[in-house]
Amino acid sequence: MAFPGSGSIRKSQHATSANSGQGSSRRQFLKTATVATFGVPYVISSSALGSIDRPAASDRIVMGGIGIGNMGRGDQEAFLGRGDIQYVATCDVRVSNREQSKARIDDRYKTKDCRAYSDFRELLARPDLDAVHIATPDHWHAIMVIEACRNGKDVYCQKPETLTLREGPLMIAAARRYGRVVSGGSQRVLEDYRRFVEPVWAGELGAIKSINVNVGPLPQLCNLGREEMGEKIDWDMWLGPAAWAPYNSKRCSGSFSINGDSWRSFSDYSGGGMTDWGAHHFGGATFICDVRSLQPTEVVYHDQAEGRWLDYLYPNGLTIHHNKPQSENLQIVGTPGEQLPARPVPAYRGAGGIYGDFVHCVKTRETPFRDIEYAVNTCVLAHLGNIAYQLKRSLKWDTASQQFLDDAEANRLVDRGRREPWQL
Amino acid sequence: MLNQAFEALKKFDFGTPLSELQAIEDAVVAAHKDTAVRGDLEARLIAALATDISRDAKDYVCRKLALIGSGAAVPSLAALLSSESNAHLARHALERIPGPEADAALATAANSLRGKLKLGAIASMGARGGVAGVAALAPLLHDADVAVARAAALSLGMLGGSDAAAVLQSAIRSTNGAKAPLIDALLGCAESLLRANQTDAATAIYQSLAGDQQSRLIRLAATRGLLACAAKA
Repeated sequence: MAFPGSGSIRKSQHATSANSGQGSSRRQFLKTATVATFGVPYVISSSALGSIDRPAASDRIVMGGIGIGNMGRGDQEAFLGRGDIQYVATCDVRVSNREQSKARIDDRYKTKDCRAYSDFRELLARPDLDAVHIATPDHWHAIMVIEACRNGKDVYCQKPETLTLREGPLMIAAARRYGRVVSGGSQRVLEDYRRFVEPVWAGELGAIKSINVNVGPLPQLCNLGREEMGEKIDWDMWLGPAAWAPYNSKRCSGSFSINGDSWRSFSDYSGGGMTDWGAHHFGGATFICDVRSLQPTEVVYHDQAEGRWLDYLYPNGLTIHHNKPQSENLQIVGTPGEQLPARPVPAYRGAGGIYGDFVHCVKTRETPFRDIEYAVNTCVLAHLGNIAYQLKRSLKWDTASQQFLDDAEANRLVDRGRREPWQL
Repeated sequence: MLNQAFEALKKFDFGTPLSELQAIEDAVVAAHKDTAVRGDLEARLIAALATDISRDAKDYVCRKLALIGSGAAVPSLAALLSSESNAHLARHALERIPGPEADAALATAANSLRGKLKLGAIASMGARGGVAGVAALAPLLHDADVAVARAAALSLGMLGGSDAAAVLQSAIRSTNGAKAPLIDALLGCAESLLRANQTDAATAIYQSLAGDQQSRLIRLAATRGLLACAAKA
């Protein structure tokens, strides 16, 4: 099967340069391989050779997208607008999303070549794809990211990247096993919290003792009743690994509600506001305090007249509060009078924000700003919090074994069963 | 309140406000560290499973047994493994209940069921972890249904360790079917051996996958593994 803007020669070179770090460009290889392989005059189109604002086909990343709803459409348009991306495949279980997505891509290239899929496995099996972006509901993320890595794809995955504590290490393992670039998808971590990051990393606040994150609400079990299906959707695939339930438009709505009007509210598909906005706020807090590579070792649960809140205790002495009464979001407590040495603030690589960072890293094999390990560590905060609130007690978390200490019940919430036939 | 909630469970179905079952939710959390209360609550949940409550109500009960169920709940949950409606959340509970009863229930289901239900039981064995599943999963690597063989491979990769690695290596040598899931699982085993400081065993696996007969992706994975082994040696 042939696909536009793709081919085994170019793909092969990409893998070589990407994985070995050797210096020759994909374009140089295409020219060389063309002569060596065919040994006859070969016409290369102007599109393949590129232009000033559009790199040659051999220097473009061949990409597809899975889950083209509210967030996926924005991601797709960002990638589609780049000259160094050749977007060739789209996938969604909603017919309208799928058809609109294909139309958008075809319009971009003035062709009818984009392939549209309802089953992500068919898209991931394409050997010509270098990378995919994933913006499905959260209950699909781990399965798709891991399967993408198994198929040799680099991945940009919308936040919240995980639904359970167990998924994170498996996603990291898959990325590392196959040497894939896997970036999470919170642009806010770097772009929204810079005014907090810069003075802290400049050492102006001294050693940071604590930071508060206000975010919520908790996820809720969904028990909405059956509705007539007013849209064309592959319902079984939308549910995927989640428990079977009848169609209900609120259950699968992709709106940004976290209060019962969309899947983001419901525990079978999301960690609720704790993960949905927590991916941003907890991500910002861990970036500000430079603990993106760490996980807390204890969650202290408070339930008093003024409300419920948490303290996350880190091994380096930092405390991240969650919803501490009378505290503002990202309220920082430093060490007055202390000036620490300034450190350079990490930034996106390449051009074009978090998307450009990902594309740059796909080309260079560098680690993206929101590497999957940082993303997982952010989500861990939200999941630990959800479990502590559910069980109404403090918890000790062993980061090495990824298990709770002395709490067998809490360990039963580290993961969940997946509906057949789905498996990590 | 708890009695009222169990009464409400009899009529519970999709669309019923969850607030009607809140007392059960609260009791499950409150039963922490109180063995007697917990046992009584578990017995009531198990009894509910034996009645003709709705699919949704049974799913709800399974979710609660996932948190507080013991070996006593295994027979009732195992009986649901052949149910198209309730197998998933029965497995969700069984994956979390410690002890050999749950291991045996899932292994029996993995061998006796067909289709998606069989795949589910196999997946749950992998998710459950522990070496007990290796012997039961090994023959399934050779199943004529490629989906079954793939599921068994992935579950063995989840279990990890040298026993799982040995049956995967044997299957790689003998299979005429897809090798990718077997190799992916074997790489998972190598990672588990490396974590357990069995560096020589992990190195041997990576070396076996580093040859030219493997795809570029697998050779990359093997090379990365060998580098990790060298760093740890």
